[in-house]
Amino acid sequence: MSVPRLDFDDLAGGYGTTEVVHGISGAAAAGQVLCIVGRNGVGKSSLIRMLSGHLPAWRGTVRLEGRAVTDLPPAGRRRLGISYCPQERPVFDDLTVRDNLILMRRDRSLDGFAPFIGRFPVLERRLDQQAGTMSGGEKKILSFARGLAEMTPLVLLDEPSEGVQWENILHMADLIRERRAAGTTFVVVEQNLAFAERIADRYLVLDQGRVVLEGPRSAIDRAALLPRLHV
Amino acid sequence: MDPILVTQGLNLVFAVAVLAVLALGLAVVFGLLGVLNLAHGEFIMVGAYCAWATTAAGLPYVAAIPLAIAVCGGLGLTVERWLIRPLYRRPFDTLVATWGLSLLLRKAAEAAFGLSFRNVAMPLPGTVRVLGTDYPGYRLLLIAISAAIVGGLMLWYRRSRTGLRIRAMVGNPDLAQAVGIRATRLAAGTFAAGTCLAGLGGVMIAPLVPLQPLMGLDFVLRSFFALVIGGLGSAVGLFAGSAVIGGVDSLVSALLDATWGYFAVLVVAILFLWRRPGGLFAR
Amino acid sequence: MSMGNLTPTRRRLLAGGAAAFGAAPAILSGIARAADKDFKIGIFLPLSGPAALFGPTGRACAELAADEINKAGGILGRQVRLLPTDGGTAPAEAAKSAVRLMLEEKVDMLLGSHDSAVRGAIATTVKGKVPYVYTPVYEGGECSPNIYCLGETPDQQGGPAIGWLATERKARTYYLIGNDYGWPRKTNERARRLIADQGGSVIAEEYLPLGAPNKFEEAVTRIKAARPDVVLITLVGADNVNFNRTFAGFGLDRDIARFAFLLEENTLAGIGADASRELYACMGYFADLDWPTNRQFKAAYAAKFGDKAPALSTIGVDSFTGIKFARALVEKAKGTDARACMAASEGLRFDTVTAPAIMRGRHVDKTMFLARCQGTKFEVIKTFGFVPSGTACGA
Repeated sequence: MSVPRLDFDDLAGGYGTTEVVHGISGAAAAGQVLCIVGRNGVGKSSLIRMLSGHLPAWRGTVRLEGRAVTDLPPAGRRRLGISYCPQERPVFDDLTVRDNLILMRRDRSLDGFAPFIGRFPVLERRLDQQAGTMSGGEKKILSFARGLAEMTPLVLLDEPSEGVQWENILHMADLIRERRAAGTTFVVVEQNLAFAERIADRYLVLDQGRVVLEGPRSAIDRAALLPRLHV
Repeated sequence: MDPILVTQGLNLVFAVAVLAVLALGLAVVFGLLGVLNLAHGEFIMVGAYCAWATTAAGLPYVAAIPLAIAVCGGLGLTVERWLIRPLYRRPFDTLVATWGLSLLLRKAAEAAFGLSFRNVAMPLPGTVRVLGTDYPGYRLLLIAISAAIVGGLMLWYRRSRTGLRIRAMVGNPDLAQAVGIRATRLAAGTFAAGTCLAGLGGVMIAPLVPLQPLMGLDFVLRSFFALVIGGLGSAVGLFAGSAVIGGVDSLVSALLDATWGYFAVLVVAILFLWRRPGGLFAR
Repeated sequence: MSMGNLTPTRRRLLAGGAAAFGAAPAILSGIARAADKDFKIGIFLPLSGPAALFGPTGRACAELAADEINKAGGILGRQVRLLPTDGGTAPAEAAKSAVRLMLEEKVDMLLGSHDSAVRGAIATTVKGKVPYVYTPVYEGGECSPNIYCLGETPDQQGGPAIGWLATERKARTYYLIGNDYGWPRKTNERARRLIADQGGSVIAEEYLPLGAPNKFEEAVTRIKAARPDVVLITLVGADNVNFNRTFAGFGLDRDIARFAFLLEENTLAGIGADASRELYACMGYFADLDWPTNRQFKAAYAAKFGDKAPALSTIGVDSFTGIKFARALVEKAKGTDARACMAASEGLRFDTVTAPAIMRGRHVDKTMFLARCQGTKFEVIKTFGFVPSGTACGA
């Protein structure tokens, strides 16, 4: 039996003394997209932040290729192959768009960014401007491009489509599908059902910090999801 | 041109340039890590004693530079690891901790070298004729070196990969972690860079000033004022702050006397703390 | 006016109290009597503060003097016991220490090497009840009853130096620079008169704050513009070092002589060989003085304290002189009664580390040494015997 690329078991954690995620388990295989959906405030972001290492888990384990990474800080997980694009403050506002992209590249070149710059002309137009001058949606595109360009086996995306124009959301979906075909695993927190339907292999539906529904896209239709997404 | 006017003009440039270098390490550590290192002056003192040890051992003066970098860098890394790192984001605690560190370093120097004065022979004695007046050659050299150090560091910060990462870490620490920047190592390096710069400043001024364990106290105050005025974390601000503090001091000292110069510096610093606590360029 | 010593009265009262209880064990009273018999001197030294460097030297020198006196039978047959106290504190703190020394320790005498602010505080506290010997270089003019000043005064330093500079260097114009407090201002007041007496003139007089992070480029440039023959320096400690290094750095040492009123071995070590050309000092003591008495003193000092002995300079050695003076005074007055001591002090001749000195008006006519700096050493160029202090206090 093969080891899943990512699996997490009984994860719980929160802020201060308030637990917001109450023991969630799940897994994603190589070349799979796991979409985490649910209403605002049900613990989606907290869960993905525990996967990235930004929020310490109070209990439970996170494993990458079977290896526990629960005690590693974010930078350590990144080195093992987990990329993360946060929901808020997704880019370095004080740096130029170019510097945001090449920050961690030894050769300091834009090689490897061609697919993104080709699909999102806004990046090319604003390469030498400060990222802080971009709109919220443009920052999300920049963050998405940076995350995917890292070419890691596992990419964590926290609401990548938030504020992004539909045309660009479609480009994002295309890029995710291309990369999925090459074996990359994605965990995506998403509110936009139309986007989620285009990319998801599996759903993990949360409510009040617990899993309420889980399964492959084929088994969970829009009618089952909608009441979980909107009040 | 009136040679005395030229000399006082050069004095002003010298005051600003040296202040900029002495404040640089403080600015780096305060601006990037949010740590006000009250022991900054003591690292200057350690650098100056490195210069003394070098000349006392009969080595050429430039050998003091690697020695000061090694000693102040090693001290800086140790202090960062065991004293500063547990206290990041606790400004009052770091203030108390670095104040304690300054006492410790002064007492250590006193134990090692005693309270008595030492002197470091001028590595470049004599005066040079500039614009019709004689000006000490070593001071002219220091003006050039100061400009080179401040300018070079700023260029490095803007252009180098490490500089880029430091800016990323300062601007958005969470995201910096997410893209794989090892913030703890980078912060340690940044702190040590600040202490190395202080040590270099100490090597530079050692032949000019009284050398004794308490000397650091004289430098931390003016450096702090320069930061207050220039605001934090920008090269322009550092130069502007040094120019205002060093310039006001030198100008008023030249026109009236040193008491008025010192008074003017205090007034300017208090006015800024009161009316513009964010510095000259605060929005 | 009653200047009577309070101590005997208090002792009698206490003795009466003990008799009333009547049952003090013999051994205890024996110890009490032995301690009581000691001649106790409370000695204020800079144990902390900016002058703390001189504390250990002062203490060692005082101990050496006390040892010598005790080996020769003590003072009035009583063994000398020193009670070192911090004189490097704020004046109010020192005054409190003086009260404690008098009331709890019941000292017979006070001795001090510290600044004038502390002296003022001690003087108003002690009010002449015990003899108070003030030993360091100072501005002169202290005439409170029962205070004896042994240190170099502006007249003793400036008189020989300004006279020599006028005759040997044909110096006419002077630039005065000092720290902004009592000693430099009063010293310069006196120096102005001495300069006028020699037909010279003062071009400028400037002061820098004491204890501030001073720098001297601007002042040195002003001196360069003023072109005086001599700069008279009343800067102290680090400022004195800083000024002289800046002065030489600007090349002014080639043409302008400098005379510093507080220049001893430690300050000169800070100034360094490359900044001490044409720099003069006039003091009552230099460590390298090649006099038989000094050789003898240094041999005894080295024998007692070994290689690690604190370095000698006029501040520090003054405590040795102070203790020796105390013995001469009390032996002649046959006690520590204020009136008897003040009377005995006039014309009192006593030994110092250099030549014997004579007290007049509770100040001292003493031997002064005018020295030119050679590298970081003082080279005596002229010796002046029995130089008057310029202050003569009446009875």
